[in-house]
Amino acid sequence: MIVFAASDKGGTGRSVTSANLAYHRALAGDDVCYLDFDFGSPTAAAVFDVPDARQAAEDRGLHSYLIGEVGEPLRIDVWSDTEHRVLRNRPPGSGRLVLMPGDLSGGEFATGEENLRRCVDLLLRLNGEFDLIVVDLSAGRSYAVDMVLEATSKREMRGVDFRWLVFHRWTRQHVAAAASLVFGKRGIVAGGVARGHDEDALRSVIRFVRAAVPDPESPLWSQVSATQSAWMRECDRDLKQMSSALGIGYTQVLGSVPLEPVLQWREQLITDEDVLDSQIATRETWDALSDLAGRLTDDKYWEQA
Amino acid sequence: MAATGRTAPAVLVCGETRTCLLPSFQALDGRAAAQLLRLRADEQVSVSERPNLYALSPELLTGVDCRLPTANGAKVRAVGTVASRAALTEGRVLQASAWFSVPSAGPDTRRPWGHYLVRPGLVEPFGKLPEQATAQGVLRGSSRGELDLGMIAEGLLAQLLRHPLLDHKAPFKSRRTHLRWVARRAPAGEGASLERFTLAEDGLRTVELSLPEETPATAAVGLCEDLALHDWLLTTLVHMLDNSRLGAVDGPSAVLALRPAVDHLLHLWMPQAHVERTLGRLWDVLEREPGFTRQWQTLVQRIRDQLAVQAIPLLHEALSTR
Repeated sequence: MIVFAASDKGGTGRSVTSANLAYHRALAGDDVCYLDFDFGSPTAAAVFDVPDARQAAEDRGLHSYLIGEVGEPLRIDVWSDTEHRVLRNRPPGSGRLVLMPGDLSGGEFATGEENLRRCVDLLLRLNGEFDLIVVDLSAGRSYAVDMVLEATSKREMRGVDFRWLVFHRWTRQHVAAAASLVFGKRGIVAGGVARGHDEDALRSVIRFVRAAVPDPESPLWSQVSATQSAWMRECDRDLKQMSSALGIGYTQVLGSVPLEPVLQWREQLITDEDVLDSQIATRETWDALSDLAGRLTDDKYWEQA
Repeated sequence: MAATGRTAPAVLVCGETRTCLLPSFQALDGRAAAQLLRLRADEQVSVSERPNLYALSPELLTGVDCRLPTANGAKVRAVGTVASRAALTEGRVLQASAWFSVPSAGPDTRRPWGHYLVRPGLVEPFGKLPEQATAQGVLRGSSRGELDLGMIAEGLLAQLLRHPLLDHKAPFKSRRTHLRWVARRAPAGEGASLERFTLAEDGLRTVELSLPEETPATAAVGLCEDLALHDWLLTTLVHMLDNSRLGAVDGPSAVLALRPAVDHLLHLWMPQAHVERTLGRLWDVLEREPGFTRQWQTLVQRIRDQLAVQAIPLLHEALSTR
């Protein structure tokens, strides 16, 4: 199963959340590969805390592979190469967790038949090897988005299951932007249909993830005044209405991730130690990530609404 | 290592074999295997059904003009052709190999392509070949700009994976293995020997052979493909057993996780099925140490025992509800 992580804007927590999902699946025993297709601003090495990899990937990353400069993109075994104190101890029963970083110097580039073929070859190959492949795509209707839309429309990829997660923050602008990224005139669905995807089939594999969602009921806000509290509830309600009017309402949402300072500021994987021992991250965040990770492959959440 | 024409005889053969599970829900039969491996219109795929189903593609040639990988950084330009081929065992395990032979010395100028084309699989160095450094360089892996056998083998594998026959619904996930090998020429009068077999990280294996001059390069390729196949089987089965958490998890779930092994792997073990007789005895070295077949049989026995243990309660239940 390939999961493409997209977002209309930067700062939606797309990279850090999708990396956490990869981590949760690996903890649960899946062999997981995380591909940093965020050309131009590769961040995965920082999220997985593999600083050496950053340097190593200078010219051997996914970007160099796609433009044909190297035969194979660099692979980093996160469990063994991370400097993260907790991640270094690979738990028994966990699956592999492999990172394919982007190049430090690689920017966006024009799509070509050769790049596309290499992209298809890589995805086919990884599909045989990993239970889950998470592809973190650059924000917006980027080249990376076009390339994977094109790749997944190819006959060779017919047998490969894929799903899309579109991340957005819980604000009016982000909700509108996410809807437009998917359903807009130049959106993912239109772009996919232009490349030969079946519209209904493509729609049925796209779900939204609401990130950094402040829960008005959360104890975080227990000290706010009654007016503020009422206002928050109203905003939340308005956003829900707006979302469903834009076609990204409840049935299209795979899950929400609460507003979590650790995700916002540290942009790293949240481990059980962060929740249980140092308690810098909340249990709600851990559970939300864990639920999301489970739903990625739970067909119940992907049935046509 | 027979040489052709006026070129000096080859002193070194280098190769790489990549092995993976065929990404297809069902194993391919002989006819489909021949279709898959039909890499050239002008040559047939050889398919043998005894002692197991084995299909071998015709050879392809890739023209190269680049530096050889060398362990000591020596810059040796070489020109010629790299041969490659693919094999499919029991319609289940797919392998792609790329290899070249190289003589101890070559001319200092590049010759017309016709010269190289009549010497398939031969790469000629400019000047003298640093034999030891090249062998070590190949085993270590190529840097950018150097002749990269892995890239050629991978390219062939990628081409095969795009074939419309394949549905990419493999019954289980598995890693590829890469086996890099070098065969030096044995001193006159000495027979073939397997000098070293190592397991490195990330599915990399290396083999060092010493072969008499008259051994053809394709015999070495066949031997290394056979080693790679069985090493892949062992690697894959060990990984599957690890993942199943057999012994740690109770109940039938661990055993059910091993079902794909029973369905698709256990019947594939057949060392030397397609190895030239003169090289077959090199297998004996590996059978003694580390003991390939011994390990395989232990794993298989373990799976069968677990299946039997899990079956007992079912049997009991069936008898008591009668």
